[in-house]
Amino acid sequence: MSYDDVEIEDMQWNEELQAYTYPCPCGDLFQITKEELKIGEEIACCPSCSLYITVIYNAEDFADK
Amino acid sequence: MAMEVNPTSKQTIIDNETQREKVEEQLWSWGAGTDGQLGTLRLQDEHLPQLLNVPSLSSASSVSMLACGGAHVVGLTSGGKVLTWGRGNSGQLGHGDMDCLLSPKIVMSLESYCITQVSAGWSHSGFVSDEGCVFTCGDGSFGQLGHGDYRSHCSPAKVSFFVNKHVEQIACGMRHSLVLLKDGSGNLLYGFGSGKRGQLGISIDRIKSVNAPEIIRGFDDVQIITITANADHSAALSADGELYTWGRGFGATSDFLSPQQSPSSLKFSKVALGWNHALVLSDNGEVFMLGGSHHGMLSNPEITTLSKHLSDGAVLERVPGLDGIKVVDIAAGAEHSAIVTEEGVIKIWGWGEHGQLGLGSSRDESSPKTVSLGVEVERKNGTVRVYCGSGYTYAISTFCS
Repeated sequence: MSYDDVEIEDMQWNEELQAYTYPCPCGDLFQITKEELKIGEEIACCPSCSLYITVIYNAEDFADK
Repeated sequence: MAMEVNPTSKQTIIDNETQREKVEEQLWSWGAGTDGQLGTLRLQDEHLPQLLNVPSLSSASSVSMLACGGAHVVGLTSGGKVLTWGRGNSGQLGHGDMDCLLSPKIVMSLESYCITQVSAGWSHSGFVSDEGCVFTCGDGSFGQLGHGDYRSHCSPAKVSFFVNKHVEQIACGMRHSLVLLKDGSGNLLYGFGSGKRGQLGISIDRIKSVNAPEIIRGFDDVQIITITANADHSAALSADGELYTWGRGFGATSDFLSPQQSPSSLKFSKVALGWNHALVLSDNGEVFMLGGSHHGMLSNPEITTLSKHLSDGAVLERVPGLDGIKVVDIAAGAEHSAIVTEEGVIKIWGWGEHGQLGLGSSRDESSPKTVSLGVEVERKNGTVRVYCGSGYTYAISTFCS
């Protein structure tokens, strides 16, 4: 089950990770890349645990970026 | 997994007017540890309580409080010194850099102050001095440092807004901060940082963020004595034991843009906030919970013994499995909860994937389970305190010998 629904505007761009991130309750960060958003992916995973969030965004905003 | 025990708990001599007694203090940690937040000198999770060997703390006086954030810890000694450790990539450790630290280190730039209260958010920290000044450091990208901009600071910076006011407490959430002033009448509480879920309580409209403190309204005739914040939640307790919450709704309830008093006849003495739940301790030692249905936090409806409906349907449930047990301390991690009983026993439940329950596994628990720190702590005359970070837990046991 998705831990939370998070709007893309509430995620932070992380230069180092080259991904949009959002705090995970384990202490790490949920992450999703522009490439993933471009192909319509809406799940941002945490590399440290089993949790994931659903990212709310407008697919058109990432279609050709 | 075998418990590693360092036989190096610290001993301090406390001068008393009438007697000299030897007080022994032990620090224990467990749970998520890959940023050094456990103070174990290792970058790994621990599923069982680890007794810490902390020379930097031993040389100071005893620990008066810990503040556990997303992945960093702020420790305050009884002598007013501040030590920080864990993740530092936003400057939240306040040592002038963005490095992580595997063990506690004194924040030198606060050395000339006597600090009386500290708080740790997701990636920022707050410190209050005995003179009523407040300092913040860490991630400022939502305005949560209160300096009037969105810059981050890697050393504690005094919040100039409060220069002529006497600050008593600061509470740091995920992306916001609350500040409580000492005495005065009305206009006592301030909020700054992200306000998207109503967690600032400064307006009846949804506010994206503010980077300088603004007054939280609704406490004109109420004396607030303690404030707390976590994730997008805010809470306060009045001198009369009334509970106020605002910000993101608990469970399926909607967000509160201004402080709401819990319409309970109970008086509360402590409140702790998680990411989707709140724990409250009543003055007779009972523990209640708001919004417990998330992520196995609690909530087996069959064993819930008492429910009180709040105005919009959020439910204050008594935590099951604690009948006849008097509770003296509570703490909430993002998705786990810990309590200490009158006898000094730690009980814990919730999400366990990183070992944050300290029960030797990564299982979740839906009802309170006893954490064992070993035989030593169960001596008489001891006290135990618990503190939870997002995915980890600390306990401090103190006993006279």
